[in-house]
Amino acid sequence: MAESGRIPVPLRLCRGCRRFVRMDGREDCAFCGTDLDAAEAEHEANVTEMRRAAQELREALAGRG
Amino acid sequence: MDARRADALPVRYAGLDDIVNRVPVSVVWEITLACDLACSHCGSRAGHRRRDELSTAEALDLVDQIAELGARDVGLIGGEAYLRKDWLEIVAAIRAAGMRCDLQTGGRNLSEERVASAAAAGLCGVGISLDGLGATHDKLRGLPGSYELALAALRRVRAHGLSAAVNSQINAYTLPQLRELMDVIIEAGATNWQLAITTAMGNAADHPDMLLQPWQMLEVMPLLAELAVEGRERGLFLQPASNVGYYGPYESVIRNVLDPEIYFHGCNAGDTVMGIEADGTIKSCPGLGSAYAGGNIRETRLREIWEKSEPIAWNRRRTLDDLWGFCRTCYYAETCMGGCTWTSHALMGRAGNNPMCHHRALEMDRRGLRERLVKVKDAPGRSFDHGEFEIVVEPVPAHVLDRIAVDG
Repeated sequence: MAESGRIPVPLRLCRGCRRFVRMDGREDCAFCGTDLDAAEAEHEANVTEMRRAAQELREALAGRG
Repeated sequence: MDARRADALPVRYAGLDDIVNRVPVSVVWEITLACDLACSHCGSRAGHRRRDELSTAEALDLVDQIAELGARDVGLIGGEAYLRKDWLEIVAAIRAAGMRCDLQTGGRNLSEERVASAAAAGLCGVGISLDGLGATHDKLRGLPGSYELALAALRRVRAHGLSAAVNSQINAYTLPQLRELMDVIIEAGATNWQLAITTAMGNAADHPDMLLQPWQMLEVMPLLAELAVEGRERGLFLQPASNVGYYGPYESVIRNVLDPEIYFHGCNAGDTVMGIEADGTIKSCPGLGSAYAGGNIRETRLREIWEKSEPIAWNRRRTLDDLWGFCRTCYYAETCMGGCTWTSHALMGRAGNNPMCHHRALEMDRRGLRERLVKVKDAPGRSFDHGEFEIVVEPVPAHVLDRIAVDG
């Protein structure tokens, strides 16, 4: 089998300062100190809420048609 | 990645499977070095044909070899690709082999007839170079009137239903005009805008006044982030080249392709990108010079060059020990590996220490410092050559600090 390309070393996005950080076991952001998991959970909850609101809006608009 | 999102991504987007299997997803092929413009930043110093460009039969055979490696996207460049008499045969062969084919052009002589013939041959899209507004573009492209010719070509491409993109250089002349240029590009109907920092290679190495200084990344990246968000709302998708970056608070905004968690993961030369010169020389990236040439298809089959040649393998085999200067101890070293090989080599004479980096400029700024490049050696005057620069580290001048205080 041919030699593989260089597999990227992964980073994760800090939802506090929007910088990428290393996945080196640290729980807080190396740049802004945000709790990475807590900020991610809050972000997920916000996304879920936005999707729900968008769906409601679509249904309401469809109902008006 | 879910299937729906994968379907929506551009075909030149390389996923993990492509990296593992080293699929040359995106092949950039200079089919001739003949050119009808005289750009002051041209890395290949195009103008005349190379002495020994591939024949039609050799080019068509190369198309088959590219397809055998699993490539998905072939971008034709020059010089000016349409100056090669058989360019439409090459386009048709690429499409017949199941690959996407785009043309990157200055657009000076991309006539109605040429666009119509290209569309009939199966060309998928055209990227037109627009470097600043009017006089700035004309100056950089070395031809009065070339700006209007490029815009007319862009509109022609749209009229024929081809995908229309614009390529722009970011340099000392164009940076102040990017915002206004975006309005022009949107008005002309382009849907993609690729931006690259002018690299100190070829003709650009002879014009250090044109090059951005490392500390200007503090201005470039917030601006690109603004333009990326606004462009997307207006139907223009901004695509930073791999020499634009890296990290900092705007990485996610400017580099995401339907996914905010996409980030720069290092130079992909020789992993998912291949460059080809008009004489059949195979390189790991179209911008790199002869030190990165893996062989010539006149002597060796493409697969063998791609899989076995040392200059092509260089990128995937290097380690942190190949980094030096700031990049050697950088927080992002393992992921970034010194950013764009082309940029670093052209400035510093070897890869692994790239001063054109946002994270680096931010770190310097945090310490009240900035880096300035000073040219210390001229380029010899060959295609894809470079000079040499030294980095001067200096305190941020007082007038800049004053401006920051005023601007907030």
